[in-house]
Formats: sequence, C-alpha cells, structure tokens
Amino acid sequence: MEKPDPTVTTSKRRLPGWARGALWAVVAIGVLSTASYLTDMPILTSSDTSQTALRLGLPILLAAIGGLWAERAGVMNIGLEGMMILGTWGSAWGAYYGGVWVGLAAGILFGLLGGLLHAVAVVTFNVNHIVSGVAINLLGLGVAQYLATLVFEPISGNPRESPPVAKFDTYSATFLSDWLGALEDEQRVVLSDVAGLLRGLVTHVSPLAMIALLLVPASYFILWRTRFGLRLRSCGESPVAAESLGVNVYLHKYIAVAASGGFAGMGGASLVLLEGGADYLENQVNGRGYIGLAAMIFGNYRPSGLLGGAALFGYADGLQLSGGGAAVLALCYGAVLLLAIIVVLQLIRRHWWAAAGGVAGAAVLYWIYWTNDELPSDLIPYTPHFVTIIVLAVAAQRLRVPKAIGQQYRRGEDT
Amino acid sequence: MRRKRGGALAAIAMAGVLAMAGCAKDSGGDGNQAAGDGGGGEPGSCVTNEAPAAPENSKKEQTTEHGDIDAGDLKIGLAFDVGGRGDASFNDAAAAGVDRAVEEFGAEKGNESPAAGSESEAAKEQRLRQMAEQGNNPIIAVGFAYAEAVRKVAPQYPDTEFALVDDNSVDAKNVTPLVFAEEEGSFLAGVAAAYKTSECQVGFVGGVQTPLIKKFQAGFEQGVKAAGGDNIEVKSEYLTPAGDISGFNDPAKANVKSKSMISQGSDVLFHAAGASGQGVFEAAATNDALAIGVDSDQYKQKTLADVKDVIVTSMLKKVDVAVFDYIAAVAEGDPGDLPERFDLSVDGVGYSKSNPAIEDVTEELEGYKKAIVDGDIEVSDTPQG
Repeated sequence: MEKPDPTVTTSKRRLPGWARGALWAVVAIGVLSTASYLTDMPILTSSDTSQTALRLGLPILLAAIGGLWAERAGVMNIGLEGMMILGTWGSAWGAYYGGVWVGLAAGILFGLLGGLLHAVAVVTFNVNHIVSGVAINLLGLGVAQYLATLVFEPISGNPRESPPVAKFDTYSATFLSDWLGALEDEQRVVLSDVAGLLRGLVTHVSPLAMIALLLVPASYFILWRTRFGLRLRSCGESPVAAESLGVNVYLHKYIAVAASGGFAGMGGASLVLLEGGADYLENQVNGRGYIGLAAMIFGNYRPSGLLGGAALFGYADGLQLSGGGAAVLALCYGAVLLLAIIVVLQLIRRHWWAAAGGVAGAAVLYWIYWTNDELPSDLIPYTPHFVTIIVLAVAAQRLRVPKAIGQQYRRGEDT
Repeated sequence: MRRKRGGALAAIAMAGVLAMAGCAKDSGGDGNQAAGDGGGGEPGSCVTNEAPAAPENSKKEQTTEHGDIDAGDLKIGLAFDVGGRGDASFNDAAAAGVDRAVEEFGAEKGNESPAAGSESEAAKEQRLRQMAEQGNNPIIAVGFAYAEAVRKVAPQYPDTEFALVDDNSVDAKNVTPLVFAEEEGSFLAGVAAAYKTSECQVGFVGGVQTPLIKKFQAGFEQGVKAAGGDNIEVKSEYLTPAGDISGFNDPAKANVKSKSMISQGSDVLFHAAGASGQGVFEAAATNDALAIGVDSDQYKQKTLADVKDVIVTSMLKKVDVAVFDYIAAVAEGDPGDLPERFDLSVDGVGYSKSNPAIEDVTEELEGYKKAIVDGDIEVSDTPQG
C-alpha cells in the first residue's frame, strides 16, 4: 500500500500493515496475560473487561472514523463533538417513533447534516477549519437543547432527557462463547486470558458494534483501494495537483466531510441505542468527539491505528471503572513489561536515545507500581486520559499528517 | 562489531525483562472475589440488629397547614444552579416549590435564570444583583455554588430576603439557609438496603466526590451498619473526583461501574449521582439486583418507567417543601421561624413508599426514623474510615 521509505536503509522488507497490526495485538495480549497472571488480577483479561472496552470504545471508534474521512480529505474536523450531539438527539427521536433502525438512520442523518454545514463553511466559504468546527460544537449543543425542549419535554416532562427509547438487541455466538467461557474459568496461563478477551467480543454484541467494527476495514478498502478513495486522499495531500488532473476537489471534500458527520452521528447513536445507555441526555457526549479525534491522530491517520487508539481508551476506561485502583496498578505493571519489550527492540535497532527514554519510563512506572498499594482515587478516573496522552506523546514522533490539512483551497488558485 | 554490542545489550535487557517479570507483587489483587461469599440467603437474613420500635401512630403527617396566606405582593426570583429547570433534581424541586407557592398563595413569579456550566463568581453576583434591582423579593439561590455571591450581594440589598439552598455558611440578617440532613435520609436508605440484601453486600455509587455527596455516603454506610453490624459489607465508589462534574451526567459509566459492583457481590445499590443514576438502575434491572433512588421519588419518574421495579425506594430530599415553607414564612413576615435544618423530624428528608416492595420493612424503617428523631441515634455527616 505504501512504497518503502527510501530514507530507511534496511535490507529487510517492511512487514505489511496487517501483519504488524496482528503482531502488536499478539504482543498486547501476551503482555496483558503475563501481567494478569503475575499480579493475580484476572480482571485484566476477563470477558467482562473486553466487553466493557468494546462498549466504551465504540462511540470513540466511530468518531475517530469520522475524523479519518474528513482529515484524509484535508479538512480538520474539530466539530465531531457537535455532530455527535446532533446524532444523539436524532437517534433518540427516530428510535422513539420508529424503533432502533430508524433511530440509527436518524442519528446518521443528523450527524450528516452537521457535516454538510461544516463542508459548506470550510469548502465553499473558506472559513477557518477550527473556527467552523468550534461553531458547530456550540451549534450542535444548542440545536439539540432546543429540539429536546420542543419535542421531548411534552413526552418525558423533562427538557434535558428523552423518554425511554428502544435499544438494540444483543447477540452472542453461543457455542463459541460457552466454550471460551469454560476455557476462561480454567484460569490457565495465556490460554484463559485469550479466551476471556475473545469471549467478551463474541457475547452480547449489538449489531451496531458489528457495523462499527466492519467500518474499519471498509474505510480502509474505500480510502486506499478504490479510485474514489485515491482521489479523496489526493485532496488532502495536494488539492492543486488533484484539480489539475481533473479531480473535482470540492465534490470530494463535500462527500468526505458529510460522511465524517454521518459517522460521528452514528457515534452519537451508539451512546443512545445500546443497552445500558442513556436515551437522550443533555451533555452525554461529554468530550468523546475530541477523544475520538485524538485516537485518530495517535493512530497516524490510519484505520488500524485508530482502532488501536479507540480500543486502548475503551479498555483503560472500562478497567478503571470496574477494577478500580488495584487493576490500574496491574496495568502499570503491564506497561512496564511492554516498555521493556520496546526497549529491547530499540536496542536491536540501535536507537540508543529511544531505548534510554524507554528505560526511564519503565523505571518510573515500576516505581509507581512498587510503592503504591492503592492509587489516589482522585486520579483513577483519568487513567484512560493518562494512557492516551502517554501513548500519543510516544507515537507522535512518527506521525505522517496529510500535507494539505487545514489549508484553504480555492479552485484555480495555485497555493 | 557494533552489531555485536547491540546484540549483547539486547540480551542483557531481555534478561532484565525476565527478572522484572519475576518480581510481581504478591499483595494486592483481591479486586475480583467470587460473588456473594458469606451470604446467599433470603432478603433480611443479613440483618443482625433488631430495629428500634416503630412509633404507635406512624401515620402522623407533618405537613404544616399554612391557612390562607396572601403573598400577592411577593415577587419570587429563582437563581438556578447548573442545569436549571428540568434537571429532575434539586433545581426542579426548587422550581416546584415556587410553582406551588404561586398557585396557592398568589405570589408573583419573578425572574428565573440558570447558571452556565463554567461561569465566574462575578456572573453569579451579577445575576443576583440584577434580580434584586428588578424588584424580586424573596430571591432563592439554588445550590451551594451561590454561597459567596449571596454573602457579597445580600448586605447591599438589606430590604430583600435571600434564601440559599444547601449552604448555611452565610451569616446575614436577610439570608435564610435552607439546608438538609441528607445523612439522615441516606441512613434510612442504608437500613432499607440492609433489609433487602441477600448477599450481605451493598454498594453506594456517588456521582462526584464532593462534600455534599459524601454526606449521602456517610449516612448510607451508618444505616447499613446499624442494621447489619459487621455482617454486611458496604462498597462505596465515585464516578469522578471533585471538580469534574461530568460524573453527574454519565449513565454509561455509572452502568459499567454498577455492573462491576454487582458482579463483585453487591445486590442493592444506592446512588447519589444525578442523571447518571439511570445507568445504575439499568445495571440493577439486567443483573437481578435492586437499587435505591435519590432526591425525588424516582419510582414515579417518567423517564425511568422501564426500570422502576428495581427502585425499591428513594431517599427524598424535599427541596420543594423547604422552598414552599420558606415563601410562606416570608409572606407571614418571619423567615426566622423556619427549622435550622430540614431533617427527619420536620420531614425535610425521608424515604418514598410508592414501590410496594418496600412495604414489608416500613415498620423497621419507621422505628429507625423515630430513633433518629428522638436523638437515640446520631448520624454523622462525614464518612468514617
């Protein structure tokens, strides 16, 4: 998919993306199961944890996919948050009158409208991308409040909440799930951990989660393997060159940003339509749009990366909520193991400074783990933020940003 | 040569990893006990202490008769805390109290204004000043967030009466604090939980770890202890620390937290988490547990109709009654007459009986209530230990 980077003088061929992703997944599972075994915290790899991670990561994943589409076409989308808010209102409204699928469609539609507005502002009228995005965030909140007062208050008696709406049914791969459950209960090293993590992903899964997960490879295929995708990405790298080759830059940007809004709206719907969710509730999005954007950036503007980012955030959040301080400490220990592996890798590649940094980080984390039995409860809720910031700081060294991102483009001008 | 050295270093580091992997701590890691060890009986089987005797005539209704008060010359100003009307919590309750006063006493409804999410002290002062200038009297400030603003503004308008909900730190002639004994109501919630648990473990889910919410936690823990002694374990958890108010507005997180508490063996959950409470109720509904609501009678709340069966009772904090009584007192010209604290003895706090599931323990609850009112049981407002 990418040409080998000529500046790196390695004789070996680089691993293909999917293989590297799989390798990282194996490493992550290995580290987690080792940590869970050695610290005696089965919750690190229990099926409950992975199930929670999937649920908490879902809105973030969808927002991140939305971000991917817009940013690949060269449009910064800070407005994901506002589009998600529109999606929450839309999906609650649709689901109340027409059931879950109508709700999902309405959520996507409302997010899409927010995306279109952003497109009109930044593509047609050349408004600064950040300004337009912030405006959409404010507008999304305001419109949702207005509509909720108008439509929901007469039914629910509360302008800040919708009446209870239909929720997605969940499905389990029964036999597989039971078999994995039996494996998990045996508490065998590694095997039970893998079984636990997998089992969470095949039990009580909603169709929405399946669609969202399928959207990751689908986005990859569309953006990297089709002519349309190539054109869309060329708008994000060099719109002038794209235009000179006959690509309709405006049209592609419009489609990308509208799709981005649609995915964000779907993310909003995932807050409303899943079991244990909240119906519509004012402010329920609560910054998830921004976190999705961060997950996408940390994922190096690639589908596999943003999946990793969303999974990381969902996992850390689920773990701190259900396991508390002890589980977070065990995660610290796991991070030490992971850093140690990275240090070894860096030493093999002879990146001395990176290795030294890794050693220092591992030492600090190990010190935290060793000296504490219980983390201060004030800090535990921010575990996912810490994790994301740290990983972002490490990963941001090698980010490859679409070249023309955030730039204003006018047809016929050559800058 | 260089390559060799790199390999050697890698080998050393690898050995380090293995050594490190060997030094995992043995302590800690009891976070995932099997559910329900130590219990597993019928509801009520975890109770070890006998309830105090219930009063003979427990039907005594304490609503004071206000006769025919004419409050036509009052213009009531309402300064809301974040959320405003429709928060299904104390803002709504305060508004309900005002609405009732408007209807029954003919008072005039003045200005209403909600606070913004992150507004400054100055904005709150400005709001109160503006209301006073526009002739609102009395002005009711909802929420302890207004304490400083009232402290500054009230002396400047000596002829205007101010009421401050949830805070009694302001000492001025024209300021009436409307504070509640949340811990006493929560104590009864704790007693109810102790009688309803069959696993001998109950949980408290707080929204944001503020001093106010800690009062709920303190009362609940003492109530459980009073009925069950050391036989019943209480797990208390918060969604976010003080300063991060998102904990009052995140049902998804409350749902995850409650599920994990239930899977660790708690089977009755009391929440003081505002709108996040819905997540607690849904977790209880899907996992065969019970829950206790907060502030208003959540069994009757429309938006919770799907899960109301698990809401065995609600701890009530009657802001509406306090506000209504306050307006009545102002109309009669004597706001100093109000109780210093709206506690169990004046029915400022209490528990709801709308769910029939609570009926079998109301006698015990009334007994504890009487003991608190008589002073036989003292409820502390800070969590112990």
